[in-house]
Amino acid sequence: MTAQAKAFPFPTTEKTLSNGLRVFVVEYDSPGLVAYYSIVRTGSRNEVEPGKSGFAHFFEHMMFRGTKQYPTNKYNAEIKAMGADSNAFTSDDMTVYHILAGTSALPTIVTIEADRFQHLEYAEAEFQKEARAVLGEYNKGASDPLQPMVEALYDHAFQVHTYKHTTIGFLRDIEDMPNQFAYSRQFFDRYYRPDNVIVLVVGDVKSDTVLPLLEKNYGAWTGGPSRPAVPVEPPQTKEQRTTVPWKGDSLPMVLAGYHIPAFSPSSVDSAALEVLAELVFAERSPLYKRLVLDEQKVEHIDGSAERHVDPNLFTILARIKKDEDVPYVEKAIEDEFARIAAQGTDAKTLSEVVSRTRYAFAGQLSTADKVALVGAEFLALTGNLSSIDETFATLARVSVADIKRVAAQYFTPQNRTVVVLEPEK
Amino acid sequence: MLLSIAVAASASQARADQNGIRTVLLPSPSIPLVTIRLVFQVGAADDEPGKEGIAALTAAMLGEGGTVQRTWSEVLDALYPMAADIHFYGDKDAYVFMGTVHRDNLDAFASLLAEQVLTPRFANDDFTRLRQDAIDTITKTLRGNDDEDLGKQALGTLLYPKHPYGYPTPGTVAGLKAITLDDVKGFYARTFTRDRLIVGVAGGYPEGFPDRYAARFSGLPLGGPRAPLPPSPKPQGKQLVFVQKSAHGDAISMGHAIDVTRGDDDFYPLAVAASYLGEHRTFNGVLMLNMRQKRGLNYGDYAYVENFIQDGWTTFPLPNIPRREQHFEIWLRPVPPKSAGFAIREAIYETDKLIREGIPAAGFEATRAFLLNYVNLWAQDGSRRLGFAIDGVLYGKDVLAELKARLPKMTKDDVDRAVRKHLSTANLSIAVVGDNVKALAEALVAGKPTPIVYDTKDTPADVLEEDQTIERYPLDVSASRLKIVSARSLFEK
Repeated sequence: MTAQAKAFPFPTTEKTLSNGLRVFVVEYDSPGLVAYYSIVRTGSRNEVEPGKSGFAHFFEHMMFRGTKQYPTNKYNAEIKAMGADSNAFTSDDMTVYHILAGTSALPTIVTIEADRFQHLEYAEAEFQKEARAVLGEYNKGASDPLQPMVEALYDHAFQVHTYKHTTIGFLRDIEDMPNQFAYSRQFFDRYYRPDNVIVLVVGDVKSDTVLPLLEKNYGAWTGGPSRPAVPVEPPQTKEQRTTVPWKGDSLPMVLAGYHIPAFSPSSVDSAALEVLAELVFAERSPLYKRLVLDEQKVEHIDGSAERHVDPNLFTILARIKKDEDVPYVEKAIEDEFARIAAQGTDAKTLSEVVSRTRYAFAGQLSTADKVALVGAEFLALTGNLSSIDETFATLARVSVADIKRVAAQYFTPQNRTVVVLEPEK
Repeated sequence: MLLSIAVAASASQARADQNGIRTVLLPSPSIPLVTIRLVFQVGAADDEPGKEGIAALTAAMLGEGGTVQRTWSEVLDALYPMAADIHFYGDKDAYVFMGTVHRDNLDAFASLLAEQVLTPRFANDDFTRLRQDAIDTITKTLRGNDDEDLGKQALGTLLYPKHPYGYPTPGTVAGLKAITLDDVKGFYARTFTRDRLIVGVAGGYPEGFPDRYAARFSGLPLGGPRAPLPPSPKPQGKQLVFVQKSAHGDAISMGHAIDVTRGDDDFYPLAVAASYLGEHRTFNGVLMLNMRQKRGLNYGDYAYVENFIQDGWTTFPLPNIPRREQHFEIWLRPVPPKSAGFAIREAIYETDKLIREGIPAAGFEATRAFLLNYVNLWAQDGSRRLGFAIDGVLYGKDVLAELKARLPKMTKDDVDRAVRKHLSTANLSIAVVGDNVKALAEALVAGKPTPIVYDTKDTPADVLEEDQTIERYPLDVSASRLKIVSARSLFEK
């Protein structure tokens, strides 16, 4: 694979409908299969009102509660008849609805998806029952200590920005969801609008047959009210630190987050931070080998610079074998960032990281559904698919000096939030 | 001797070479990726008494330990520039060592993978690390970080008492502590034999590669026939285990052993019945519609007629975890403790209805139509297609091809007959993980009503009326068949 090869090499057609809805058709060799993704550029980041944390995710559930033309049971029967894999997910920055089915089902898919995005209608009783399914989802995750740890990390790392709460939301807000029926209608009115949604179709399709279908079914959709701004987080000025007690058995864990800038495909810092994550935490890294293989103090360690619309965190997780080693492991991680800030890395290692990242990305694009999933993330973050090639072009430009600079700039104690899990003795 | 094994899956080729090593090939010359799956018919069922966990630990020594030629640290260095990783996983009856790599790097990756399996280093430091990881997996992660998996594993102890399927695949605490490095070396020599190996290759590999590659494993010894599983007792009557631990909700798994696997004709109508009750992570099953959608009880409710592990973030079954014995299972994701008794009763009520009344004609037609298309999604890439083709060799029937061939001819009567023959709620084993489970256990044994507690309004009248039946639905649980245990006591030995 050459560095010049396109990272996203598939024939792509893009069109903006007159109402502002943007549609992308990607022709991909998946005989008889099509992946249909509806991407709402709204996630828990947009939950700006107090007491409404978790609402974007809750609303994702409500989108399966039917319309006049396709009440829930009829919608479900259509999905079942086409033998589709259909679901949705919500993150900080996006809500994504996806259907994978036979290509012959595409006209039906467009019809039922366009219908629910424009004409969603549900009764308060159904709304309340679904609110309790969301509580069930919270309870499902609550036996994993990572859920309260992640909640504590973002709660402490952010003061005013909505990244302060996780996508599932605070338990107190989830428990109150049955009382938010009126707000749910406002949420739909505000965010489920053509200028805030992107439709992505990937698979055994031709754009000249798909585009007319999309225009016909989404053409009458209209714009809505303006949307509230998301607050800007001021710089963190001192280290934040907290503990999460855990009733029951667990390895002790450390979850740390360092503030980093918003993702941008043209940002060398974004690319350099992704490279740094590999340099520090990949299984062949000196830190991994020291803590996991040689000293055997750590069962698992990873770190990543996740892509976000607004400035977010570089997160680090370590599961540690003994309580008394927690400070030692924290210090080892800090020292490794300091070492790279001072010494950088060699050109061969940097080139291997870039090469591995490219190959790994190419390996991800192995099915229509996976191509659509990758495309959806970039569309939600940047609004276009050309940002994929741009991201990898930027990655190829990252220098050792860039690595040293971002390691020194972002990985300082005052820029850090640390959460330590303390299992009961 | 050349053996020929017929595989129903289209375009896959399965055969055995002169050394008895079976190969399954799925050529796709236009695809630049190649997947290799080395499947050994070795799993927890091969554990030796008192050494529970030795199969998993031996597999870990192969999958993430060093080789004679290089330490594990050096293996990681070698893998990194290839953008490939060695993955391995396993269950009771098989382990798979696998990876997918760009064909630019095929030879180097394939050599490393072969090295792992053929010339394990059995280094002391790898052994110490991996055995401690396995102990922590049981004592910390399973007991304290994942109630849903804990419920499933607790169910396993009821379904398979005094049987090698009756504890988690990683082993027991006492078993793992008793294992020495010499034990692992001996176990490897006895069980990782060439007659237990299938070499699978899929994707854009060069001509001649699979034969050359399979020949590399000819140095493995022959092991002879595998020991049969001990008889499974198939407990009669209901039995329950309540696992006490701090928890937000009650995680529930229930089921009973069945005499059917993918190799049997009755598996396929039973698969339709399970899909009708609750296909994994879909929204159309009877359990999901009635428990989550109508009543808001929890996040999800599903049914299975074989051991099911989800493949990564997909909703589809993980291939290469074949079992010689299988079970029917219902999985209820955590429910509010105040409604847990109701949830248990509702799952049994819905299953009894299916057994008693049969699958509704419309439900049968809709489920059959669904599965005919849905199974096409189970194997979207070469790696998964290869996995299912290998399972086809292990079971004697490829589940994807069989479903496609059988569903068009299947009738509602086929499903009803198989359900009546193989499923029964009278013999259910039930595992509940939660806080304060004692009161729930006592209510169920006493046969007291366990009403659902709604904190939502306007539940439809027909649902409320049905609730009255469900909250009193007979369970026939005897106090002598009920255990309350702490999470910390599970899987100790």
